[in-house]
Amino acid sequence: MSEARLRRVNKEIADCQNDKASGILIALVDDSPFHLVGTFPGPENSPYEGGNFDVDIVVPDGYPFQPIKMKFITKVYHPNVSSQSGAICLDILKDQWTPILTLKSTLMSLRSLLCSPEPNDPQDAEVAKHYLSDRADFERTARYWTEIYANGSESARPPNADDDAAALARRKKGVKEDPALVAGLKLEHVEQFVNMGFERNAVIDVLKRLNYRGANVRNVTDDRVVNELLGI
Amino acid sequence: MKVKLKSFTPVAYWHWDTRDPDDVCGICQNQFDGVCGTCKEPGDGCPLLFGKCTHEFHLHCIMQWLEQHSRKPLCPLCKRPWEEATAEKYQEETAAQQ
Repeated sequence: MSEARLRRVNKEIADCQNDKASGILIALVDDSPFHLVGTFPGPENSPYEGGNFDVDIVVPDGYPFQPIKMKFITKVYHPNVSSQSGAICLDILKDQWTPILTLKSTLMSLRSLLCSPEPNDPQDAEVAKHYLSDRADFERTARYWTEIYANGSESARPPNADDDAAALARRKKGVKEDPALVAGLKLEHVEQFVNMGFERNAVIDVLKRLNYRGANVRNVTDDRVVNELLGI
Repeated sequence: MKVKLKSFTPVAYWHWDTRDPDDVCGICQNQFDGVCGTCKEPGDGCPLLFGKCTHEFHLHCIMQWLEQHSRKPLCPLCKRPWEEATAEKYQEETAAQQ
């Protein structure tokens, strides 16, 4: 059966390389056709627009009867993608896999997952909380991640986007990734507690854990944050 | 005029009676008239299996899938419960659909 697997995978790689229209690229990592990197452009009209997303692909021994293993190499801010490891929560990569799915169709499903998150079946609970409590604020962070991690361009940004002026200024100056913005927090919120004498990274960790974002800010009292920072 | 036939070379052609003869098996991605990934001889040696859902696969391909999901065997294409159809029944159903 391993010969069938090799034949099918080689055919699929060739199919992808011949199809320029889909925007999906597949490249070999080493000499093996069973370890690949897939790349696709972020979907239009999403916070991922303008970025290019790399996916690590491992074709298991049981392929096509066992699902392909995929995880994001590019960091993605999305409820169904681990912001730490790039692990993906998608049914077709698990129990909904069927052998008619291909490298290309699976990558296209990943691409549409970026457009339609499933926050109630999350891979990253903190990101899902952010998404559910303030959608616009979540999208701003997702867009920031696209810009700093996925080669996103300024032109990918919708003109009416609620800009964090400080972040924009930092980017223009060429300063990369502010951990507060990466965590989806407002700089003034972080500074407020830093000015009380707490260490910046500790403030970011606590605010992130308490989902101190958007509309949820009013549910978290200053005392609560200070107590967390003091370890009470 | 009398013609004396000295020799002739008969040629036969066959293909599986599928909806689209150029279509491929969704599992191995090889043509239906070809072989599944493990066989060498197409035709009777590597037959097709038709499902009541009107989807067809190489017998060896679909059996491998069904064996791994014997508790709840589903068609890989439409995910309806897999039920085998005889070839005649399959012809009737596809004819009715057209």
